[in-house]
Amino acid sequence: MMRRMMVTSLIQAELKFLGRSVSGQWWSRTQRPVHHCSGLVYREHTANIDTMRMEQLPMPGLNKRSVRVKMLAAPVNPADINMIQGTYPILCPLPAVGGNEGLGEVLEVGDEVNTLRPGDWVVPVDAGFGTWRTEAVCGEDDLITVPKDITVMGAATIAVNPCTAYRMLHDFHTLTPGSTVIQNGANSAVGQAVIQIAAAMQIRTINIIRDRPNCAELVKELQALGADYVLTEEEVMSSGLQHIFQEVPKPRLGLNCVGGISGGLVLSNLDYGGTLVTYGGMAKKPVHIPAKSLIFKNISLRGFWMTQWKRNHRQDKALLRSMLDSLCELVRSGYLRPPNCIQTPFPQYTKALHATVQPRQRKHVLIM
Amino acid sequence: MAVPRSALVLSRALALQRAASSARSLSGSVRNSPALLYRTHGEPVQVVKLETLELPALGAESVLVKMFAAPINPSDINMIQGTYAILPDLPAVGGNEGVGQVVEVGSNVKTVKVGDWVIPKDAGLGTWRTEAVLNAVDLVTLPCDISVLSAATLGVNPCTALRMLSDFEHLKPGDTVIQNAANSGVGTAVIQIAAAKGLHTINVVRDRPDLVQLTDRLKAMGATHVIKEETLRRPEMKELFKLCPRPKLALNGVGGKSATELLRHLQSEGTMVTYGGMAKQPVTVPVSALIFKDVKVRGFWVTQWKRDHKHNEEALRSMLDELCSLIRTGKLSPPSCTEVSIEDFHKALDNAMKPYISTKQVLVM
Repeated sequence: MMRRMMVTSLIQAELKFLGRSVSGQWWSRTQRPVHHCSGLVYREHTANIDTMRMEQLPMPGLNKRSVRVKMLAAPVNPADINMIQGTYPILCPLPAVGGNEGLGEVLEVGDEVNTLRPGDWVVPVDAGFGTWRTEAVCGEDDLITVPKDITVMGAATIAVNPCTAYRMLHDFHTLTPGSTVIQNGANSAVGQAVIQIAAAMQIRTINIIRDRPNCAELVKELQALGADYVLTEEEVMSSGLQHIFQEVPKPRLGLNCVGGISGGLVLSNLDYGGTLVTYGGMAKKPVHIPAKSLIFKNISLRGFWMTQWKRNHRQDKALLRSMLDSLCELVRSGYLRPPNCIQTPFPQYTKALHATVQPRQRKHVLIM
Repeated sequence: MAVPRSALVLSRALALQRAASSARSLSGSVRNSPALLYRTHGEPVQVVKLETLELPALGAESVLVKMFAAPINPSDINMIQGTYAILPDLPAVGGNEGVGQVVEVGSNVKTVKVGDWVIPKDAGLGTWRTEAVLNAVDLVTLPCDISVLSAATLGVNPCTALRMLSDFEHLKPGDTVIQNAANSGVGTAVIQIAAAKGLHTINVVRDRPDLVQLTDRLKAMGATHVIKEETLRRPEMKELFKLCPRPKLALNGVGGKSATELLRHLQSEGTMVTYGGMAKQPVTVPVSALIFKDVKVRGFWVTQWKRDHKHNEEALRSMLDELCSLIRTGKLSPPSCTEVSIEDFHKALDNAMKPYISTKQVLVM
């Protein structure tokens, strides 16, 4: 038992470079790496993202149940940065490859792999994969296929933010056509996905954004995606939403990724019995709720974390499959466009990382 | 100071005598009876006055009730101040709960009979008065074999406690509930009902000179742990969680920092239910608690529950039966009460607004 543990830990040390997803594998020590791939590695948790380095990672050979994947594109999301900084509740053992979301193409499969074939497009089913690399070897179960008839950008950015939007629109209240949802951070990737998915469900959206110099332009962009109402925080604070509630019903679902005052604006405009679902905290401020809202308006506060949902459904991929299918259908039918991303060649990763920590920047997607 | 039991029994007997004699003189004639009325919203000590109200004639669907006792609850105060979610039309009689006895019934009344003890089904009835003519359907009966004080204080706080312990988390014996305002009407009911269900309670109170006596009193009721607010923030909490599991349910009657601290100790996927806001501060919820711990933050209002179950008499009946059963078996005692005659209402209202007051003011008619 002790010898097996020692051998396992030696092998795991060698495999640490390759991301958490392979740490459970039992490799024969006689298999030697055949080539290297490039990966964006961090060796310590630090707020200084410049410490990340592109490194050459040894690639092991395949075993019976593993697959080799060529990464095509991987976005840089705020949670990826938090993981590097060490401020996320799940952290990878170090050193680790960054990135939790991305699109790959299967190159080679082990003998006992039966759900994947070379050429399939795949995305990871869990966080911690380490998608910022050119190739990966992982277990068959670590991946799920996505159809190839959607764009690379669409597929690379489908599994985190649109899934979050989809779940929040389905899991808290039964929303029928004609009902209303209110959200802040409407310009975020999740926010834009909410607008588009809601529009496809004939749900009206009231969208709160921060004021900015090119506001009118942003308002038009969001309206083009299907946003019914777009207001700045200042507009909501000064004029309220009564005029809107003469046209549409008061929302029972509010989505919050900001917190603080902005969270309060969403909260205070919910209908009796409504739910505020928090999925982010971009202002790094808590949510404040008056006791009266809880007691007399019967408002519920909930949170949503896509990673937790995926973990809860790890053993049965059917719900994940059906959600991805629904989202891909929305992509095909033009309802769901990928976020307006900046495609960044992988070697120029520094630009992408820095942009993610700046306010009001567009999403960067690394192209391998 | 509590009135001795013998005096209460005597006053009840006198009340019944008075009621009996007044019933004989009631038929056809209009009578006046004292009531605590307010004609504008404002501070209770300023706006509440003892007035004489003309009792309407008994209708076919109404009953004449002789009130025995009615407590002063924070929500009664808020209603007078005009800050409550529901406000009766003015002028209004204060008080939302209390127990009385039916002394006369209208010709069509089927749900109650003379001699029944009754409490209101809903808020807003105005219980701070010696007599009332009320619609029979607005009343629900209670058994007469519980004390007057238990009956007078049953409809709001113990009901709130029971519902919060039942409707939000599935709790098994050995599970833990954490609450602040543990010394309140709701808090003490939670302690006792939880103890009867085999649940641990962690009871948070504000520090005070007589903390030791308070702790002893709460523990005698069945409190597992009694801690002060400051302790919630200290490493001692880790030691406490070696003695009982982390709570699945948190009950908040305070708000502000106190509520945030309760959340911190809640198990993942647990629920915090807010039923009051004594600190008059919002509940502050860290985003990480919602996203990563999947805690649920909810509210509870017993009045809303009663309204939602208006057409399901069985639900209210079975809750009251469960509570009365606990009372009879000695598991649920009324709060410490200070009985004040209706004429001394000013003193009662004044005391009710004092912080750290450890007894509930109850008007006895």
